[in-house]
Amino acid sequence: MSRLPLPAFPSDLVVRAGRAARSCRRARGGSRPAAVALAVTAPAAAAVLAVAGCAGGPIGQNTPASSGQGFVSGSGMSVYETGSRSVAPVVSGTTLTGQHLSLASYRGAVVVLNFWGSWCGPCRAEAPDLQAAASHFSSRGVRFLGVDIRDDPTGAHAFQRTFQVTYPSLNDPGDEIALAFRGTVPPAGIPTTLVIDRQGRIAARIVGSASYNALKALITPVAAEHPVTTTGAAR
Amino acid sequence: MTGPLAGEGGRGTGLVPADGTGPADGTGPADGTGPADGTGPADGTGTPADAGPASGAVFADGARPILAAPGAGTARLGLTGWLRWGWRQLTSMRTALILLFLLAVASVPGSVLPQEGVDPSAVSQYYAAHPSLAPLLNRLSLFSVFAAPWFAAIYLLLFVSLAGCVLPRTFRLVGAARQQPPRAPRRLARLPMSAGFVTSLAPGEALASASRLLGARRFRLRAGDGWISAEKGYLREVGNLLFHIALLALLASVGLGGIFGYKANRLLVTGQSFANTPTALDVFRPGRLVSPSDLQPFSVALQSFSATYVSSGPQLDEPQTFNAALRYSAAPNAPTRSYDLRVNHPLTVDSVSVYLIGHGYAPEFKVTDGHGNVVFSGPVPFIPVEQAGLTSEGVVKVPDATPSQLGFAGVFLPTAADLNGRLVSEFPAARNPRVSLISYAGNLGLNTGESQSVYQLDLSGLHRLAVAPRPLAVGQSMTLPNGAGTITFTGYRQWVSLAITYDPGQLPALISGVLALAGLILSFMVRRRRVFVRAAAGPDGQTVVAVGGLARSDAAGGFEVEFAELAGELRTAQDGRPGAGGPVRGSPEPAEQQTTGSVSSDNDQSLSTPGGE
Repeated sequence: MSRLPLPAFPSDLVVRAGRAARSCRRARGGSRPAAVALAVTAPAAAAVLAVAGCAGGPIGQNTPASSGQGFVSGSGMSVYETGSRSVAPVVSGTTLTGQHLSLASYRGAVVVLNFWGSWCGPCRAEAPDLQAAASHFSSRGVRFLGVDIRDDPTGAHAFQRTFQVTYPSLNDPGDEIALAFRGTVPPAGIPTTLVIDRQGRIAARIVGSASYNALKALITPVAAEHPVTTTGAAR
Repeated sequence: MTGPLAGEGGRGTGLVPADGTGPADGTGPADGTGPADGTGPADGTGTPADAGPASGAVFADGARPILAAPGAGTARLGLTGWLRWGWRQLTSMRTALILLFLLAVASVPGSVLPQEGVDPSAVSQYYAAHPSLAPLLNRLSLFSVFAAPWFAAIYLLLFVSLAGCVLPRTFRLVGAARQQPPRAPRRLARLPMSAGFVTSLAPGEALASASRLLGARRFRLRAGDGWISAEKGYLREVGNLLFHIALLALLASVGLGGIFGYKANRLLVTGQSFANTPTALDVFRPGRLVSPSDLQPFSVALQSFSATYVSSGPQLDEPQTFNAALRYSAAPNAPTRSYDLRVNHPLTVDSVSVYLIGHGYAPEFKVTDGHGNVVFSGPVPFIPVEQAGLTSEGVVKVPDATPSQLGFAGVFLPTAADLNGRLVSEFPAARNPRVSLISYAGNLGLNTGESQSVYQLDLSGLHRLAVAPRPLAVGQSMTLPNGAGTITFTGYRQWVSLAITYDPGQLPALISGVLALAGLILSFMVRRRRVFVRAAAGPDGQTVVAVGGLARSDAAGGFEVEFAELAGELRTAQDGRPGAGGPVRGSPEPAEQQTTGSVSSDNDQSLSTPGGE
């Protein structure tokens, strides 16, 4: 009984044929990636796109476990202009250190939300870059917050120890936080990094490993949008 | 698909001599049941020029091309002619069948050879095993058959062929369903069924009386000078139409599922839960227009899983029952419900079906590294490698162990037993669970950012630790050499593998299928039948009424009885006496039928069932 194949025909054909097109789609309808912003943030972002390209997309198998990597990954970067940003849901949960934390408490700050797992290769590759970016932007009203998914707290703690992560992470064993982003800019693979502007709107998304340069290129303009001193929004 | 129905297209083109008014009165096709009824140039393509070789090939009904275009030959086929010829070849039944067969044949390599989209690692293995053959196969797209251009060509052609066949036919059937009854033939006595009587009513009154009676019986009426024609059984055309439209809807439904549906898999360990969102899925195959936001936001928790197996007899080790106790909610704030998920007993939530397709064991481990930190703790799904004893294999990766990363390749034996010095599992239930581990240290290759299977170790950066693999029982530990740490087998859980499918085309496809069947049955059951009445002033001041009847298909008998009843009622209503038309005549003798020309045989050809396609 371990592997009962499902009827996979014929809709499967269409699905597979459409995969290439899908993985190139960056944003859901309405919120178009801003070509202008990409042009401004120039070489770093371009490098990320060139490397990441549209080559990603899920690798899968019929029965979950026989082979394949066992999780959905991907790659791509999207930037949303101020007019086309969707509002991030107000998520809350318990951090890996056992404290209650709500995204609402970060209102007024730029929030970089990173969905990760200690077992995931691309997450481990981007961890030093994320930590470096967190340190670099900490004085500019930019807060980093992790969301640990499909993970065991022990492994997650060990991960944070290894990479000396200073920012907190919410534990999301039931995927409730990931699910809350449905209808906005949902995480499309592991890892996914979202940049949320000072008004709580999603300004950018990176699916796949985020490099320091890409993070810097994406966060800098968002952090500059409303200086903390003038809005007084940083509470 | 070029059955007798094709003949209906010729109706109303006016290419056949008209009915009773012409000189051919009483003989030949003109005396039949109306203009162009099945005897026309047949294939509805209009001009004679293209009808020669083309219709000869496509419409295998030998009679028609002769009628259509004497002298038309290949020499006269221009570009348009060839295009038309090609189109008709494509939309023919034969082509559709060949394409369907080709589709089946083309799918074979997809199940024989490893497929890129299904199992990329198996493809790499195939490359390693067949270094010269593999690139050749790859050029033919045989490792991604279902995405191959030639495969797409087959199913697109099949779709075009079916649509091209069904669509024009649908329009023709609309015409047939709206068609007026034909004019009454001059000599009703020559019809397969006829009757006659004499009445004292005036001809007009007699016809009016007949109209009322036939109208009350829901015949479609047409009146002329001294005659009325009535036809019934248009439901047959409606059934035909329904069949064709439902066939088109079926095609559309299948496309709908491919565009808006998705498939996903998730392996879930007992005690864990997940939500239907891409990051929580192991495999996600969206349709062309599916974005992550379109996924139905349900969540599922696996509370427990139980499996029972046959413990004696010839079917030893065979699974008997599986039951996965789920708690689920349709949306983040919706109430939580319980569900017992079993094989072929899927959970349906928000139009999404969740199937139980597999199960296995997830041994739990605790790993302490060389510095005394607990760096890993939790269940690790192992994959069954044989079904009889559910011997399972898996890997444990401990990337945060210090001073060096640790990896373990393990075998889980639910009921461990020694078979001639070899450790095997002799029963699928966990009666004597053991884990045997090979230990590695070094670089797992995880930190480079490559996506790596959670079920495989990349051994290139690892070295095997000098510790003999010893089967561990629950609670036992293994100490690694050189102070690398310890690993403890703390227990085990079970996991289920779930297939999540959303196919919005499923219900429309089912409805279309049922409607197609209903239409087919209707068109088989209902006969079109015609009744003609002529009334003329007789020599003695009386009115001679003639009644004729014709069943327009050979599908089913029974019209004789209906006609006899009708004729009797007509006569009663008009207070008639036996007269010129003679007694009611049911089935004509074969000899008489021949002498009256092609009335019945022509009509038998003209109408038939969609089953003939």
